[in-house]
Amino acid sequence: MPSSTLTAKASYKKLPGTLELTSTHLQWTQDGKKAPSIRIPHVEAASLFCSKEGAAQVRLKIGLVSDDAGHNFTFLAPQPVAVTEREKFKTELTNIIGVNRRGPNTPSVVPSPITPVLAQQSSNAPSSRPAIPMSRSSTSRAPSVAASDSRRTGTPMSDPTSDYQLRIRVLLSNPELAALHRELVMSRQITENEFWEGREHILLAQAAQESQRKGKSGQLVDPRPQTVDGEIKIVITPQLKLDIFEEYPVVKKAFEENVDKKLSEPEFWHRYFQSKLFNAHRASIRSSAAQHVVRDDPIFDKYLEKDDDELEPRRLREDRVDIFIDLGATLEDHGETGNDKDVTMQAGKQRAVLPLIRKFNEHSGRLLDSVLGEGPTKRRRIEGRMEERYSQLDLEDLHDNQSAAGIALNMGDSKRYFEGRSGDASQAAGPIDVKATIHEAKTNLQGWSANLIQLKIDKKAGDTALSEMTQNVAARLDVKLRKEDIPEVVYGQMMACQTAANEFLRQFWLAIYPPPSDLPTASAATPAQKAAKATKMIAYLDQMSEKVNALAFAATQSGVDGTKIRTAMKPVLDAVEKATTFWRARNSAAAPAPHRR
Amino acid sequence: MRFYIDDLPVIFPYDRIYPEQYQYMCDLKRTLDATGHCVLEMPSGTGKTVSLLSLIVSYQQFYPTRRKLIYCSRTVPEIEKALAELKRLMEYRVSMAETEEQKAKELSFYGMGLTSRKNLCIHPEVSKEKKGKVVDARCRDLTNSAACQKGRENPGSVDLCDWHENLGKLEPGNLIPPGVWTLADVLQYGRDNKICPYFLVRRMMPFVDIVIYSFHYLLDPKVAEQVSKEMSKDAIVVFDEAHNIDNVCIESLSIDLTRPMLDSAARSVTRLGDQIEEIKRTDASKLQDEYARLVEGLQEAANDEDAFMSNPVLPEDLLNEAIPGNIRKAEHFVAFLKRFVEYLKTRMRVLHVVAETPPSFLQHLKDITYIERRPLRFCAERLQSLVRTLELSRLDEYSALQKVATFATLVSTYEKGFLLILEPFETDNATVPNPIFHFTCLDPSIAIKPVFERFSSVVITSGTISPLDMYPKMLQFTPVVQESYQMTLTRNSFLPLVITRGSDQVAISSRFEVRNDPAVVRNFGSILIEYSKTVPDGVVAFFPSYLYMESIVAAWNDMGILNEVWKYKLIFVETPDANETSIALENYRRACDNGRGAVLLSVARGKVSEGIDFDHNYGRAVIMFGVPYQYTESRILKARLEYLRDTYRIRESEFLGFDAMRNAAQCVGRVLRGKTDWGLMVFADKRFARADKRAKLPRWINQYITETASNLSTDMAITLSKLFMRTISQNPNENQTGISLWTLEDIERHQAKQKELETEKQGGRDEDEYGDGGLDDSTLVQIDLDV
Repeated sequence: MPSSTLTAKASYKKLPGTLELTSTHLQWTQDGKKAPSIRIPHVEAASLFCSKEGAAQVRLKIGLVSDDAGHNFTFLAPQPVAVTEREKFKTELTNIIGVNRRGPNTPSVVPSPITPVLAQQSSNAPSSRPAIPMSRSSTSRAPSVAASDSRRTGTPMSDPTSDYQLRIRVLLSNPELAALHRELVMSRQITENEFWEGREHILLAQAAQESQRKGKSGQLVDPRPQTVDGEIKIVITPQLKLDIFEEYPVVKKAFEENVDKKLSEPEFWHRYFQSKLFNAHRASIRSSAAQHVVRDDPIFDKYLEKDDDELEPRRLREDRVDIFIDLGATLEDHGETGNDKDVTMQAGKQRAVLPLIRKFNEHSGRLLDSVLGEGPTKRRRIEGRMEERYSQLDLEDLHDNQSAAGIALNMGDSKRYFEGRSGDASQAAGPIDVKATIHEAKTNLQGWSANLIQLKIDKKAGDTALSEMTQNVAARLDVKLRKEDIPEVVYGQMMACQTAANEFLRQFWLAIYPPPSDLPTASAATPAQKAAKATKMIAYLDQMSEKVNALAFAATQSGVDGTKIRTAMKPVLDAVEKATTFWRARNSAAAPAPHRR
Repeated sequence: MRFYIDDLPVIFPYDRIYPEQYQYMCDLKRTLDATGHCVLEMPSGTGKTVSLLSLIVSYQQFYPTRRKLIYCSRTVPEIEKALAELKRLMEYRVSMAETEEQKAKELSFYGMGLTSRKNLCIHPEVSKEKKGKVVDARCRDLTNSAACQKGRENPGSVDLCDWHENLGKLEPGNLIPPGVWTLADVLQYGRDNKICPYFLVRRMMPFVDIVIYSFHYLLDPKVAEQVSKEMSKDAIVVFDEAHNIDNVCIESLSIDLTRPMLDSAARSVTRLGDQIEEIKRTDASKLQDEYARLVEGLQEAANDEDAFMSNPVLPEDLLNEAIPGNIRKAEHFVAFLKRFVEYLKTRMRVLHVVAETPPSFLQHLKDITYIERRPLRFCAERLQSLVRTLELSRLDEYSALQKVATFATLVSTYEKGFLLILEPFETDNATVPNPIFHFTCLDPSIAIKPVFERFSSVVITSGTISPLDMYPKMLQFTPVVQESYQMTLTRNSFLPLVITRGSDQVAISSRFEVRNDPAVVRNFGSILIEYSKTVPDGVVAFFPSYLYMESIVAAWNDMGILNEVWKYKLIFVETPDANETSIALENYRRACDNGRGAVLLSVARGKVSEGIDFDHNYGRAVIMFGVPYQYTESRILKARLEYLRDTYRIRESEFLGFDAMRNAAQCVGRVLRGKTDWGLMVFADKRFARADKRAKLPRWINQYITETASNLSTDMAITLSKLFMRTISQNPNENQTGISLWTLEDIERHQAKQKELETEKQGGRDEDEYGDGGLDDSTLVQIDLDV
């Protein structure tokens, strides 16, 4: 199968090398080097340009989504071979670009479906050329390829949380996380999987972000002549060809029926752009004025359709639209009455515009269909019925706020609670003498204005409060001013120490209280494993206070007050302290303790 | 919720209510109690229909008279929405019923909607026809009484409609179980039970509590006579979305004749002649019977199936006398028609514009052809009788002749308020004559007069009927209540902006002289580009006319403006064909739902501007390009303006301005539904900056146009819009309850306050210590005094 791996000798920036197309990437390796210096994932490919047939050099240019300039490759084999090689690349890449443009949801029309065999091959291919750092990790790369493949073809994603490449991309885009990763995983304090446990959401977000692709551009296909080397011509690229075929199936038909039989491909396009057919397709009403300039063409004129400029469209979908937007029903609701509309209000008076307007509507509709699938099917329209109708009429803000169901409070001994309450209630709910209460309230209130006048606020208390506040503000200002006194190195170490401690704490508590596993976590760990992990973490945590001490010492060495460091690290140490106390208490409770603590 | 207005318990199908809805209901009740008419303007999207229905249904169900409600709306989508709203209301009422008895009463409530055969037919072949006229004709062939009789006596001899036959077997008045039936429901019920939905509704009309149909069914005498004749006098009539009601009135009495029509009418006359000759040979007694009946002056009682064309004039103008002798005999009548058609054809040959009053037309007619006024008045009725006698089929082929007969009857019945205009050329620069003979009604009060006279309560309501006093003036009635409600908002949920110039400071306007100026066209275009860039989901743009929209779409395309818009949104455009536009509209909605976003280009007063809502994501911004003035060169409009000036002292400019602004307001008002919805309303024309123009906008829009926002350039407007969107997309933290939303307690508090005010007015002080549980105002005042 040609699509599995295409290889050809090609030069890039005048350096000889090998161009390869795998099922995921287009890559180029300089001769004599192991790793490919250019690797373009398929999803990146946005456009393709080829040198003209018969040109001195056989070239292929690929434009990228992120970079329009793209890369230029020159095929090195002798002419005829080079051309066939290029053609192979061209067809494959055109398909890939087509898939990219169509977006992820439509079934691909790539003639070569990706078979398991193929995935196997491709998974082998890149592993032989380790191009990405950190590939020494033991994780297999096979699942990653499968994952990206499945995303490309639109089938449900395989578990992205174990996708190795995804993790790398997350780390690359998040330097702080990467630093932590370096610190802990590279130093083998915790394992890769442990590190990612509880961070699945970051991976999922990344996967979702990556799988979201820019849709097809809404612009009309309108090949306009450009000036190339002083000549005015229309430059035809493979994807312009594809776009034209998609937009105007009749051109595709003409292409299939004529090319290689009556016309060569360049000849076909040459004549097409001069034909009436092209003029009819152009999105301009000026084209109708240009009609007489255009020559007759026996081949293309066959495909010419009459302009769709009657008041009623030539083609109209049969089934009715939803009655809430059915304008035709109003038109037919009663016989026509009254005088004709005046000349400005008669629709379709400018007949030349009608084909243009229809083209806009059709183009927009087609774009939608290509993303959402064929129009809103009848089924949906009938099923929705009343509920949907009502929802269109509903005034949401007139409903009472529907509060969420809430989480049921899980009480240990609910019976006692209620007993206690009822006891209280029986006490409180004694017959209240309304009159007496009112009377009491009234007497309490009597003379309140006099009381208010007598009210004197102690001056001293006010002064103290004010001075305290002033001090507070002064202290804050002081801190702000003296912020920069910890040297960069020490500060960095503090940061590292703190994040590491946090990570250990996180791992520890995760082992103690595993989260409700609605995410496919890698840790379907047994209690024993968890206990082991917790022990390990506690061991790390125990070292924390020493570390802090060491830090403080180092700080004093470089002329900073060690207590300052201690104060800064205090909350962390407190948290560590809490964890270790908890651990000890737990272990002593579960006597005989399996571990020393 | 349930609350009381005076003694009337009102059930409202929500937990809260907008203050303006409450006010609206109170005023509505006042109107119904006083059995008078009213004009009510309620801001768009504040739930006018549901308030109206819930008050009237409560009224119907509470008082023993059980007055019928005739609810008229403009378009079929609006009819269907009102029906769905009613259905939901009734479901809510059933669930709120306190006793079994009450529940049974709610369950026995009937609500139905009526529309044409074309929309309700389920006959497999007839319903496939594209034209409503053809559906009508084919339906009549299958269902008229003569055919039915023949078919039933001799099965198989005549094609009959099974669905109609099945309906006939049912007991009248019990054709469908009680409840509210939307058009879709009735169609489904017809399909399930194999009965004809159209005649089902027609026959149920006397039994229903609420009937919902379009304005024409009550205002157009040709239709009203058939479907609305039996409505009782105490019925409540509601014209919802009535801002264009004067146009419907005028339309229902106006008619156009063209040359192809006259040719077709002449052919039909010849065919009628042939038919008469034939029937003379085969069954001469039929003609004899008809003649005898006409001598006696008997009106034929036509049932629903047979009526195909009724008198086009209003009931009180009908002559209740025998048909004159010279057209009693069938062949005489045919000759009479022939002469009349020939006369009209000769009139059409004139190559200059003629405008004349009906009396002058009749005088000329008499001078030339000796046709008198009296037989002409019976023309429509006589034709109806003849067609029935001859048992003609495929009546759609005779439609031109029917039109001529209608014209004859109308022109000979009315003297005042009408004008005949002959236009030989379509436009001023056309060279090939394409004559049209307009018979045009100038006075909207003529058609609506019988409605006001016949029904005790007529409610005219819409989101945009400012200035309110214009309608009583134009339609010649005295309202007992006339009210415009403000929109209470805790935060401004819409932002009206007036753009008077482009970013290059060139003034923009759709004034005829400058509208095709490239600078103006480009500036209009850049407004569209900027808004399609900044606004999410749907953007709707309205143009003042089809002609302008079509030329500007072409110009924008050539200027590359649309290419720029394509980058951000899909583009949909209203087309001449209604069904095609519906599909574009459906796709537009899909694009908005999907998040792709789209722009819809359409025309004020056009198909889309009537009855389609652009609420929520379907319309985050509405742009009104230019002021939607009518085409002032139109002779019909000129005649109408002249008439308004002479008869009602309404100045031309006043009417034109009013008409343009009501349509502009109607377009922009479609963006809102409910108070959590938001939208931008952009008025792009320098003339909108003028205070006299803006004063004609409904108050609820006008009060939110700030001084700064009334004279903006495009870039300033975009800045304001962005700011607005940033604010509006934040969560509304403040609680709207109590201000723009009322709970039951708020209503009761309001009512207590009202009561207090009233009693205070009467002088009697109410010393109720335990008001609503809190300290009342007077106590608070006393406390203050103590200090």
